Amino acid sequence: MPRAFITGLAGQDGSYLAELLLARGYEVHGTVRPTTDLATSRVAHLVRESTPAAGRLTVHRLDLNAPQGLRDLLEAVQPDEFYHLAAPSHVGQSFEQPEAACAAIGLGALRVLEAVRCQPRPPRLFLASSSEIFGRPARAPQDEETPLAPVTPYGCAMALVTHLARAWRLVHGLFACCGILYNHESPRRGEQFVTRKITRAAAAIKLGRQDTLELGNLEARRDWGDARDYVRAMWLALQAPRPGDYVVATGQTHAVRDVLEIAFGHLGLEWRRYVRTDPRLLRPAEPHTLVGNAARARSLLGWTPTPTFADLIREMTDADLAALRGAPAEAVPAR
Amino acid sequence: MAKKKAFITGITGQDGSYLAELLLAKGYEVHGLVRRTSTFNRWRIDPLRRGEGGAAALHLHYGDLAEGSSLARLLARIQPEEVYHLAAQSHVRVSFDIPEYTTDIVATGTVRLLEAIREVGLRPRVYQAASSEMFGQVREVPQRETTPFHPRSPYACAKVHAYWITVNYREAYGLFACNGILFNHESPRRGENFVTRKISRAVARIAAGRQEKLELGNLEARRDWGYAREYVEAMWRMLQQPEPDDYVIATGETHSVREFLEVAFGHAGLDWRDHVVTDPRHYRPAEVDLLVGDAAKARERLGWTPRVRFAELARLMVEADRRWLEGPEAPEPLPS
Repeated sequence: MPRAFITGLAGQDGSYLAELLLARGYEVHGTVRPTTDLATSRVAHLVRESTPAAGRLTVHRLDLNAPQGLRDLLEAVQPDEFYHLAAPSHVGQSFEQPEAACAAIGLGALRVLEAVRCQPRPPRLFLASSSEIFGRPARAPQDEETPLAPVTPYGCAMALVTHLARAWRLVHGLFACCGILYNHESPRRGEQFVTRKITRAAAAIKLGRQDTLELGNLEARRDWGDARDYVRAMWLALQAPRPGDYVVATGQTHAVRDVLEIAFGHLGLEWRRYVRTDPRLLRPAEPHTLVGNAARARSLLGWTPTPTFADLIREMTDADLAALRGAPAEAVPAR
Repeated sequence: MAKKKAFITGITGQDGSYLAELLLAKGYEVHGLVRRTSTFNRWRIDPLRRGEGGAAALHLHYGDLAEGSSLARLLARIQPEEVYHLAAQSHVRVSFDIPEYTTDIVATGTVRLLEAIREVGLRPRVYQAASSEMFGQVREVPQRETTPFHPRSPYACAKVHAYWITVNYREAYGLFACNGILFNHESPRRGENFVTRKISRAVARIAAGRQEKLELGNLEARRDWGYAREYVEAMWRMLQQPEPDDYVIATGETHSVREFLEVAFGHAGLDWRDHVVTDPRHYRPAEVDLLVGDAAKARERLGWTPRVRFAELARLMVEADRRWLEGPEAPEPLPS
């Protein structure tokens, strides 16, 4: 039975990836922060279930800032595949905590690279990088050869991860793959991200529990995909004969305004009546249009994104509506 | 008029000591960050501290790039107009052995310094020491400010991070911050584990009959080697411009380790072939490609050009090491 190790198990991507791997017969080991409440986490359903698949999941509470803990755990688990997904994922917050972004993302990945390298039989390694490494790209769409030009502390830290992975592959011969992931959304997206902020607000407004929504730049465009497609790309990257970096993207961009149209329209609401723009929510440095060319993932991994953007936003809106209907007005929904 | 105040991280290093000299000569009050270590490593600035002119204007402060709050406290007290960030774990091969420490000091340390400047509410002009190592697997020769980075070592990866985060603070917060992409720069004050100094020291000792053999790595490795004393002048000039920008500082010539051996041993009347043994242990896990810089922008905007060239530099270093072998207090030779 193949064995996989996931950091950031309780994140959007970690939870979907665990489901994918369990469905494929893997034994899955995942780390969560020592303080994570599993019962309200995104893997609550997996931890609760008593199906044979869920029985193959082991949750480890681990502080990734303590390097020896990770080494010991790897030694004990001896995974075949390692997916490093744990990282603070919000770009805007990285301006508030740039040191933490560099340390948690950059040094965090370095500790993983070193821990993996020091194993007697190093697992194949997937590292989550981000389209933010391109920041102000010289060309569009971006591919694996596009020079990096990050414009946020988060992007700088992810550029460090990408460079380290490339160096470790070259110098130490590690099977390390970087997924240069463009924005990817789902009903499990964190509520501070704009898509989820919008779908949740649309649902709350529909139910009369909220009357306004404050947003930053409505014209900001992003290449938004479905998180479930993106975790499939991660898995495919580690099944390929050779390690490499892959842009994972849809190749299509939409504006924040489009998300508003779809989410509010889906519930029969006119977004202009509720949305206020707040310049404080604008990022100090807004990246230029990021749109990815996933031709390499398509040809080498056979990866293609499936559903359409509008379907995804409608699904997210429906999920938020259902969650809010099922929950008392003050309750904090599961994340 | 009050003296201008400068804050230098890495003041005990090769570049820091030359920069401190330059700034003191220009009438600055110079504040340097020093790490507490179990052995003093201040020989490069000792002459300055012994009071040859500028002692009263030179101040050393304990602090560490590993600790942002110590930096903020110091900056608040000093209130510098110019900050020169030179401190690093700067040895490329060693960075493969201690990648976490290197990344913490070079990448996160630079964030801590910039964040301390922002938190304290200062608006100094900032120089950040970037490096030609960032080009690594080069995509064009010679390299200029627009050449993409392909770092190959933990040191270089961390330096690329320091470079981008500096650009980030310039663009997001309007900080007057410059990256100097310095190609290799050597001097009699170069650390003894760098190849040029290792050679010049060995030549002095072999000529004095105190050493027989010299172990080296790849003799065919080529670098663009300049004279550190001139490179710190470029740092200062960057901060005197009307606008902040990034600059390549280089000679535009490359020479091999073998050529350095020829000049250095030849200067002492020795044949390097009689003394040098190569050992793969000294090879880097990943060698960089042909690093050679195009400093046209620095020439045009800063009026900066290198004067001391390769052969003179090698001779100068041998000369210094021969003098210092006689008496460590001997003055450092200057270029003709």
